[in-house]
Amino acid sequence: MTKFLKRVYIFLIVFFMYAPIAVMVVQSFNRSKSRGHWGGFTTQWYLSMFGDRSIMAALRNTLSIAFLSSLIATVISVLACLAIVQMKRRTRRAVMGVTNIPMLNADIVTGISMMLLFLSFGLKFGYGSILIAHITFNIPYVILSIMPRLTALDKSYFEAALDLGASPVRAFFRVVLPELMPGVISGMLMAFTMSIDDFIITHFTKGAGVDTLSTKIYTEVRKGIKPEMYALSTLIFVVILILLLLLNGSRSKAGRKKAPGGRSILEIAPAAFLVAGLAVSACSLTACGSAGEEAGAEASESNVVYVYNWGEYIDPDVIELFEEETGIRVVYDEFETNEIMYPRVAAGASRYDLVCPSDYMIQKMIQNQLLQPLDWMLLPNASGYIGEKYMAQARSFDPGNRYSVPYCWGTVGILYNKTLVDPEDDMESWDILWNPRYKDDILMQDSVRDAFMVALIRNGADSNTTDPAELEAALSSLMEEKPLVQAYVIDEVRDKMIAGEAAIGVIYSGEALYTQEENPDLEYVIPREGTNLWIDGWVIPAGAEHVENAHRFLDFLCRPEIALMNFDYIYYSTPNEGAHALIEDEEVRNSPVLFPELSQYDNLQTFTYLGEAMDRYYNDLWIRLKSY
Amino acid sequence: MIRSDKVRALFAAPYLSWAVIFIVVPLLMVFWYGFTDGAGRLSLANIAIITRPEYLKSLGLSMALSLVSTLLCLLIAYPLCLILTEKKTGRAAVIVLLFILPMWMNTLLRTMAWQTILEKTGILNTILRFLHLPSIYIINKPQAIVIGMVYNFLPYMVLPLYNALAKIDDSVIHAAHDLGADRRQTFLRVVLPLSVPGIVSGVTMVFIPALTTFVISQMLGGNKILLIGNIIEQEFTQAYDWNLGSGLSIILMIFIILNMVIEAALDRAPEK
Repeated sequence: MTKFLKRVYIFLIVFFMYAPIAVMVVQSFNRSKSRGHWGGFTTQWYLSMFGDRSIMAALRNTLSIAFLSSLIATVISVLACLAIVQMKRRTRRAVMGVTNIPMLNADIVTGISMMLLFLSFGLKFGYGSILIAHITFNIPYVILSIMPRLTALDKSYFEAALDLGASPVRAFFRVVLPELMPGVISGMLMAFTMSIDDFIITHFTKGAGVDTLSTKIYTEVRKGIKPEMYALSTLIFVVILILLLLLNGSRSKAGRKKAPGGRSILEIAPAAFLVAGLAVSACSLTACGSAGEEAGAEASESNVVYVYNWGEYIDPDVIELFEEETGIRVVYDEFETNEIMYPRVAAGASRYDLVCPSDYMIQKMIQNQLLQPLDWMLLPNASGYIGEKYMAQARSFDPGNRYSVPYCWGTVGILYNKTLVDPEDDMESWDILWNPRYKDDILMQDSVRDAFMVALIRNGADSNTTDPAELEAALSSLMEEKPLVQAYVIDEVRDKMIAGEAAIGVIYSGEALYTQEENPDLEYVIPREGTNLWIDGWVIPAGAEHVENAHRFLDFLCRPEIALMNFDYIYYSTPNEGAHALIEDEEVRNSPVLFPELSQYDNLQTFTYLGEAMDRYYNDLWIRLKSY
Repeated sequence: MIRSDKVRALFAAPYLSWAVIFIVVPLLMVFWYGFTDGAGRLSLANIAIITRPEYLKSLGLSMALSLVSTLLCLLIAYPLCLILTEKKTGRAAVIVLLFILPMWMNTLLRTMAWQTILEKTGILNTILRFLHLPSIYIINKPQAIVIGMVYNFLPYMVLPLYNALAKIDDSVIHAAHDLGADRRQTFLRVVLPLSVPGIVSGVTMVFIPALTTFVISQMLGGNKILLIGNIIEQEFTQAYDWNLGSGLSIILMIFIILNMVIEAALDRAPEK
């Protein structure tokens, strides 16, 4: 009976550990791209993942960083251990104390401290900074795994070898190292695993165009994770699982007696490493073509353009077309919010040539002299095809259109599910977000200006107000609303509304049409009290190194057929009138959601930058709301 | 082993310089930013801000959730490790490996999967509805965050605990039995005290990441629940206030130093 209970207990825990993994495996075969929605069985993601350049690059980075960082950490650690073991007690304690820091310290503090180091000394963020960070947090795992073996090692072996005429180097390799090997290998394996699994430290130390699987997934979480990611993870998991089973099988056949516990990890380690090494080489082989290209391009550093854009905000084919046509290599990187983008560009630690912030952020960057004026002579398509009404709207944050070219625009409105709301309710007013009937059925925007815009406009204030009384009133409205809110989300609102997870969501107009296609029960409205009209525009940072290439890429994006490709891919309203005229589907071309007649509305407000003190104030308000 | 001081210095040099540049200097920078204001003047404002109710509340919530999670991990892992150490065969080792294996699947994806399970229209509720049972709404609530923490950090409790328990020599337990101790006494007087180092290191390894996480609360808390890690992350990546972010990081380090002191005290006890 107790034996049965024990089995049940182990089974329950293993079930708890593996249920989410099973969910992911199932999702890797889901035809629908939407997370909560089963669209039929398919294996297509297992094929398409190999064609996805960014996923393959992230995989290569993840594996090569794990491999290199654990290897370098091991070499440094072995040398260090040999020295530490001979140190005086007090020195040894101090050194081991420092060694423990990265392990004991919170990842977030380690990540931040390294970010501050790199920023302060003007080091560029990139592959190198991630590698350094990973080596740093890997070293303690290796040292702590070698030290016990080394202290237990009988010194007389080494001395006997010397007495027998071996050189110290030979004695080390033939006598000491084999004794340390299990510790070395298990430390290295631990380091390898930690490096693969790390997200937080990489998050703070990564730079332009370099992603590991973790950071790639983090960016994707908001937009909905690409099914290829599930396929890749499943594949990695299955490879490791098979490896373990094989090893276990061969070991039981051999019937060797072994010590209980940790030993088996040590036996598996070399093989796991071999596989990881093979995987790295296989990856670099399959990616041989692109890797070769990149190496070649690295040589001519001038023929590059560093682009920093919102997630999922360009058709990847457009980048390829541009590269083919011009021979300029595009290093492409993504951000999730303006606030995340700003410090990266401001600190100059990542050398972007072309960035796509929103209205108020463009104004902030102009004020802080982070941008350089555009050369409109180099942008014939931009001056030819971007509609005048959009240029006029853009002058509210960029006087004289000197610094930016509008890329996408839209409104913020209410998306609701017709089957989940009462038809009697007035959906065309922001008040619906305060209706207690929809408790836990409301999705709010998780960005400070958008959330406050909703409350300010509902209360009859201007969304660019700096009046503390109006802002405090907006805060209390939002606090009043918070118990009704299911979650504060950015782009996740898309998947959640499609899946019917919530009845009402605050959403950007560009997402509305896509969600309606996936779920016809959804309806988008612009509330009659008014809302925000936003414009995202391309700008060139003051410190850009490839200004001419940046202009070429920007003008390429303004060609009507290219702008149309982007429109078809991202579905956000384009200010490019050449592209608008080319839209074939009349319903889309005349869609009141995507292309509302701006002259009909007199209460659409575009955000302006309110100054640093207001930034700080807004941030305080936000923390007060979130911790309420 | 190494007779010459010079050789020893040469061996230690790579690591010591690495540790100084990439561990000590960065931490000093956190302290520098934490104790100065934007203009570089000395200031305690970034530390003192923790006394404001909204910050205090999220620190308190972080501590409460991470304590509950740590306790749950210990309660789940201890019996598990006891069962595992009983069967001193290869199978136990395989089961231990089962806890490392999930780490090869990306943490973020695994946490995301919990969202898919716990959502209102998620897998759990679909099953419950199918069985005509009442639905469970814990997504975006503290309970979901605790599940995420226990799930993510349970292996960090299991591994050290298992190692500590596996180290206990069978003969010690036999001796206890021979001397007339019953099973309860053997456990309370022999096994439990001997496993204390494992408990301490397991608790550390679960408590600290749980206290400081920002990803789990983001994914399973619907951004409605603000933990101290979320505030720090926002200060650095969104509000661009390194001073305040560093000040809050220093507060987190106090807990870590406390933990080190406790561990050092426990470390010394059995030695002497």
